[in-house]
Amino acid sequence: MAPKLLNDEISAQIRALFEAHLVYPVKLVYFTKKADCDTCEATQQLYSELVSLSNKLSMSEYLLEESPQQAQKFNVSLAPSLIIAGRDNDEQLDYGLRFIGIPTGYEFSALIQAIRMVSVRDSGLTPETRNELAAVSRPMHFQVFVTPT
Amino acid sequence: MIVANEFYDLAMRYNVSGVPQTNINENAGVVIGAVPEEYMLQELIKVLQEMTIPVS
Repeated sequence: MAPKLLNDEISAQIRALFEAHLVYPVKLVYFTKKADCDTCEATQQLYSELVSLSNKLSMSEYLLEESPQQAQKFNVSLAPSLIIAGRDNDEQLDYGLRFIGIPTGYEFSALIQAIRMVSVRDSGLTPETRNELAAVSRPMHFQVFVTPT
Repeated sequence: MIVANEFYDLAMRYNVSGVPQTNINENAGVVIGAVPEEYMLQELIKVLQEMTIPVS
């Protein structure tokens, strides 16, 4: 078995943070690839370790090459991709949040924050922003490019 | 969120020069750097307005 990516100290911190802040269940949907993916294995391990730190988290995994229907359902064409969805009994609440690539460094914090936001079902945006967004009737696609820090 | 150096083709397609770079509806809006929420909202509003202006 590969050595853990999250050491005991970090794991304990995240466990405590999840314990303190997660409210509703969060469903992670992970798309991986068998071939031509340098980071898929490590990313899968990272997410598995993360899911093990809270009973509010669960994860489904799909092989991109073998799951065209699921890939289409979640509009995924790249791997590794993670969908961070809410869960309401059997219903998945897809807020459109996607992490594509391995979230390391600062992006790992962003991932933890994204999980927390989905779990509390609150974006944390200001009332002014929410007011403006309420009038938006067209789909808006935000792509945030990052590099490991 | 997209890790630019893992998806070089995508980063090239969107001319990623500095990170974080946020593209709204492909290249309709581009924000480079970590900006306040208000600034991001203004960019979104700008993109929306451009969508609704008829091209004559």
